[in-house]
Amino acid sequence: MKVLITLVKRELQEHKVGLIYAPFIVATILSLVIVLVYFGVADIQTKDFNFSTSVYENGQAVEWMRAATVDQKVAVIRSGLIVLGFPVAFVMLFAVLSYSLGTFYEERKDKSIIFWRSLPISDLETVLSKVFVVVFVAPLIILPALIFLHMVALLSASIYFAVSDIVPFTWIWNAYSIVDWFRIIFSLWMQLLWSLPILAWLMLAGAYSRKPIVAAVLPLVGVIAIERVVFGSAVFLATAIERLQPWSLMSSFPKQYEELRVVEIADIPLLLTTQDFWYGILISVLLIGAIVYIRSRSEYSSVE
Amino acid sequence: MQNDIVVKARGVKKSYSDNNALNGVDLDLRRGQILGLIGPNGAGKSTFLHAVLGLLESEGSLEVMGLEPFKNRHELLKKVCSITDVAVLPKWMTVEQVLEYVEGVHPEFDPKKARSILSKTNIKNKSKIRTLSRGMTVQLHLAIIMAIDAELLVLDEPTLGLDLVYRKEFYSQLIEDYFDGNKTILISTHQVEEIEGVLTDVVFLDKGEAVMSESIDSLNQRFLELRPFADNNEKAKSLNPINIRSELGRTVFLYEHMDIDKLSSLGDVRPPFIADLFVAIMSQSNESGGQS
Repeated sequence: MKVLITLVKRELQEHKVGLIYAPFIVATILSLVIVLVYFGVADIQTKDFNFSTSVYENGQAVEWMRAATVDQKVAVIRSGLIVLGFPVAFVMLFAVLSYSLGTFYEERKDKSIIFWRSLPISDLETVLSKVFVVVFVAPLIILPALIFLHMVALLSASIYFAVSDIVPFTWIWNAYSIVDWFRIIFSLWMQLLWSLPILAWLMLAGAYSRKPIVAAVLPLVGVIAIERVVFGSAVFLATAIERLQPWSLMSSFPKQYEELRVVEIADIPLLLTTQDFWYGILISVLLIGAIVYIRSRSEYSSVE
Repeated sequence: MQNDIVVKARGVKKSYSDNNALNGVDLDLRRGQILGLIGPNGAGKSTFLHAVLGLLESEGSLEVMGLEPFKNRHELLKKVCSITDVAVLPKWMTVEQVLEYVEGVHPEFDPKKARSILSKTNIKNKSKIRTLSRGMTVQLHLAIIMAIDAELLVLDEPTLGLDLVYRKEFYSQLIEDYFDGNKTILISTHQVEEIEGVLTDVVFLDKGEAVMSESIDSLNQRFLELRPFADNNEKAKSLNPINIRSELGRTVFLYEHMDIDKLSSLGDVRPPFIADLFVAIMSQSNESGGQS
């Protein structure tokens, strides 16, 4: 356990900008925008969207909320909070993609692989610790950022509605339960396990190539082109896109599993009952095995 | 005695597509020895050390503390420490972070000892490794290694590219603060003259083969160098030296298995420097190779 904690800590220290700072920066910017919007310091006025920044000028919204039932109010606030969390989760997903591509490349580039491999940590442990970071740790790290963001939003909304004579305290804080925060994290875990073949593929490209982006993209483009020319189909492309889709930020699983709603936490494990999920895991295991094999035989090949 | 053998190599080979890096190396390294692996570029020194550390797979029989290194690298590295390249510590880390990391993954690492060693240097705990000079980075690496209670230390050109001050400091620290009779050191370097005072044994490696393997004591008895007085050159030549070279206007004769009393009447006699002996042995081996 001590070793795992040390390995994870090391990854977070190295990738603190993408995995830790970036989600917090996005959450902080969003929080500022919320405060500015609610308290009338800024305006958001577009052709299709009109949200007055002044409490007393936005009579229509206030009237609607006054007339709405408690359930309607809760639904509005809850949807708003979920949407608010998207940018934070998107930043995390982007950071995870970038981390996957760079993690085995960087250690070869700066030759630190020589130091890492001089210590009693097996290649399997190292590789699994990195997979653990991208799948399980990265989503957990955004939890404080999400909680902070949602707290700012709820507080701002409470004050906003309170001064508009809509007593918020009886319902607004019920709109977003603690379970929802963990539902987001849980769905992100499942999302990253679903996308693991892509992440492992990026890691593999970084583990052997001097140009990991080219090594990651070119073979995929080749397969897609060959499939199109020979079979006239695009199954591989569709599968790749499906694996990359951030479905956890939407309301349902990828297309053929639309009946499995992820809104409720209890539905999420249903993905585990699908064949495609386990095909993905199997491919990921093979790719991770290849990374371990390549790293164990790296013989300090420099990428300079 | 068998338990004292730390590294046992028999016919160790390693081939790459275009050449044989190791061509059947035989070597025994015993507990308490400081063995210098001496050889020209491309002799296979680094390849052999990497094989010992389990960093590459080799043919033949290679045992390090009873373990096959490539298959048991993880287990082996609890007992074996190494510096196999200069300045390979991760540059994005701070000194404190790297100490914490090693503490977290190495059961034999004593962070207090490392901090105590570092307190005698100019290296600050909060410094980023990328801000340290090359010499300081090696100092830090050595401090980490010295704080690990390992049985075998493998050093592959550990001071390459460092200036003279850091090189001297490195070896004096290694011998004074680290080495005790229970530790074993396997070291390769080009700067033979800097380490020959600390070596107990040497192995000369050439073209992937161990052409000579001896203790320093045995070498000093086996080989003698004569700088004859001016009129004794012909007499010295008649005693069948294995090598003759010029040095600052004087001729130097190298003998193998020669009675010291026979030589001392002809001039100044002393055991050869390892570097000179190495050059002599190599040229002898090349000549015999050429003749065959």
